[in-house]
Amino acid sequence: MELNVMICGVGGQGSVRASHILAEAAINAGERARVGETFGAAMRGGKVSSHVRIGDVYGPLIRERSADIVVAQEPLEGLRIGQKFASPQGVVVLNPAPVYPVDVSTGNAEYPPIEEIEKTLRGLAGKVAVIEGTRIAGEIGNPRSMNIVMLGAAYGTGLITFDRQILLDVIAAAFKPKFKEMNEQAFLAGEKACRDVLR
Amino acid sequence: MNKVGRDEAGLKTLLMGNEAIARGAVEAGIKVGVGYPGTPSSEVGEVLGELAPELGFYFEWSLNEKVAIDVASGAALTGARTLVMMKNAGLNVAMDTFATLPYTGTRGGLVVVVADDPGAHYSSTEQDTRVLSQYAEMPCLEPKDQQQAKDMTAAAFVLSEKLEMPIFLRSVTRLSHASGDVILGGIGEAPLEVGWNKHFKHPFRWAVYGPPGGAAGRHGWLKEQYPAFLAESENSPFNKLAINPDSRVAVVSSGMGTSYVNDALTALKQQGACSVLEIGFVYPPPVEKMKQILQAADSILVVEEGNPMLENALKELASDLGLKKTIVGRSTKAVIPAFNELNPDLVMKAVSGLLGVTIPTVKLDPASLQRAEELTVPRSSALCAGCPHLGSYAALAQVMKKLKDDLVIVNGDIGCYEQGGYGLAAQVITPTSDATRKYPVSSPYEILDTTYVMGSGIGQAMGQRRALAGDSSKKVAAVAGDSTFFHACLPAVAGASLYNTDITFLVLDNSWTCMTGHQPSPRSSVDGMGAKIDTLDIAAVCKAMSVKCLKTANAYNLEEATAAVREAIDFPGFAVVILSGECMLQVLRRDGSKEPKTHVVTETCIGCKACVRVGCPATLFDPKTKKAGIDPLLCVDCGLCAQVCPVSAIVTE
Repeated sequence: MELNVMICGVGGQGSVRASHILAEAAINAGERARVGETFGAAMRGGKVSSHVRIGDVYGPLIRERSADIVVAQEPLEGLRIGQKFASPQGVVVLNPAPVYPVDVSTGNAEYPPIEEIEKTLRGLAGKVAVIEGTRIAGEIGNPRSMNIVMLGAAYGTGLITFDRQILLDVIAAAFKPKFKEMNEQAFLAGEKACRDVLR
Repeated sequence: MNKVGRDEAGLKTLLMGNEAIARGAVEAGIKVGVGYPGTPSSEVGEVLGELAPELGFYFEWSLNEKVAIDVASGAALTGARTLVMMKNAGLNVAMDTFATLPYTGTRGGLVVVVADDPGAHYSSTEQDTRVLSQYAEMPCLEPKDQQQAKDMTAAAFVLSEKLEMPIFLRSVTRLSHASGDVILGGIGEAPLEVGWNKHFKHPFRWAVYGPPGGAAGRHGWLKEQYPAFLAESENSPFNKLAINPDSRVAVVSSGMGTSYVNDALTALKQQGACSVLEIGFVYPPPVEKMKQILQAADSILVVEEGNPMLENALKELASDLGLKKTIVGRSTKAVIPAFNELNPDLVMKAVSGLLGVTIPTVKLDPASLQRAEELTVPRSSALCAGCPHLGSYAALAQVMKKLKDDLVIVNGDIGCYEQGGYGLAAQVITPTSDATRKYPVSSPYEILDTTYVMGSGIGQAMGQRRALAGDSSKKVAAVAGDSTFFHACLPAVAGASLYNTDITFLVLDNSWTCMTGHQPSPRSSVDGMGAKIDTLDIAAVCKAMSVKCLKTANAYNLEEATAAVREAIDFPGFAVVILSGECMLQVLRRDGSKEPKTHVVTETCIGCKACVRVGCPATLFDPKTKKAGIDPLLCVDCGLCAQVCPVSAIVTE
């Protein structure tokens, strides 16, 4: 068994936290796991991608075009990572809420239209599920739980085969107790949204 | 308690490589931990600092790596098990002591952990410090994954005491900053009693220059130890040889290379198809096992992260044995390039080439791939919204603008403020060969002329000043952060003051060592174990060094900061400006974030982009409407953009 999940976004969105949760849950489910992180010098707002590898794996990095799931917490980063790692057999789970790079805000570049990003990714990956993670998280009570909505969406692809409760337990342990209920709602909402889209 | 310190032998959990190294030290009964933060090594120290008070050992963030290795060796000579950690560049700073320590060896286990950064994700170089272990003649271990990182660290303490020699543990970004499943061992106690013996086993054991024979004599003693080092390597459980008698090809690998090789053999369904030698004890490498693989194979692929160190050792051995073999690796461009880090695709290609098997191809839609490339715009590295450096750089930029034709050279170094030398990726730069050409600065990301290493800026400014001596209208400046000030600038400040070198030195004091993950600096009022301590006063240090022109200003008050910088630049002699403002991320962590109130009054905005030039990621500009805007998700109400707006269109209410 081998499952490769790429979680990408920008610094501050919680992609590293989400990847550690997924790997810890996999270990609790009896699998081996690796997480490889790639980020630049910026503390906040820089591009971040996290490679999560589960099963008969050794190194921390996913080979190109081998991600079973790409979780894009930010669309431009989804496009950047998708063109390198998305697989024709895999799924891209895309949060369509942009975080503008400083290149765009200073007028040096133009942010690509979201629908173009989605269309392009459809040509590269087996399936694309657009999950409004930021909106769903905001409706539940905190836009910052977007990373948990998107983790739920990744689970909703059906490609993560261990029990949902193992993940929910790791999520509960990773945050303050007062966030337990909200995170559970966020996860389940993301899972349902993804199942509905991919149905 | 942090899970790294749990006394739960047998627990299987996810650990980052750096956490695994810290756990190995805890299992070995570490008494003293010490280091200087540097990505990708910092978490080793962070975790040790967090665990130290609970588990009853000491941890210190030293002021630089040279101090750290001295503190560490001092502790180890008493018999205490000691770990010292740093990044690749840090070893350069620590080199004087590092290269000398093997001449005396140690009594207590001393493990020197260095995290290299192949690919230079966070570093000035890709330097392979395994070569420096060989240079210092210090045994070197290199783990392949997080489990082995923990096991090797614990074993390194035992080995260090057995050989009475410091042990070098070489990590890399993909180990230190990656995570994997690790089964914890028990927390142990160190066997040696701590004490002092100046003639431990040899007269004047700890005096390198002492009798008998002085330093050259000590070097002779070190050479005599080599057979024992080699014997440990030959018998090390971290060196594994598996000969396949039906194959005439082999793979030799070390560290992270071994993990990539195992992934490639698994993906290609070729496990066991060739002979393999996995080397974890990399210096000295296991000669007997290398001989066996040379005899078993005619074509050998060497997969290692960094220089072709093992590859060259293997070639030398083959030559000594009179064996004609094809040995490829880092020195064979077509197989593995000589620079940049390894990756699983590269290793898979090399392994498939060696075994003569094909990699299954993935069918792509070329039109979509091309469209993706066209659409993708860069996301340049930027300072955080509300970062105090934005204020310091805005003040400096205003002074530079007013000086018009005067040349201002701004030298930087390493820290968050180094982003002032990155430029923006989407910007088109046309280089010229005209040595006197001036370039306008339109964002803080273009402000720095030089960025090398910690503390290099002030020294380079001193050199530029002397070279440009005939032209006093040309201004020379340097910037450094508070942590860097204490780490690498003190002798340069003393020198600039002593010789009254006409430069301006800006200390950007944000009270933390931010870029490496907010470890405490001497300005943070907290030590490496979380205890409250007094801070060091940068202005007082400058005064004690007889700095004649000393200015202090609030980095968030542009008028004050600009005036201070201007006065310092105009001063005919060495001037220091301390621009203070605590790291905004630390302020938000402590005080919590609030809904920002800052916004742009669109009707008033004239679209001049003065606010955009501050370079804050929260400041937006709509090219269609030609109006500025504020991103409410990022803005922290620092007020910098409002201070530069000529028509007061940015308000906080």
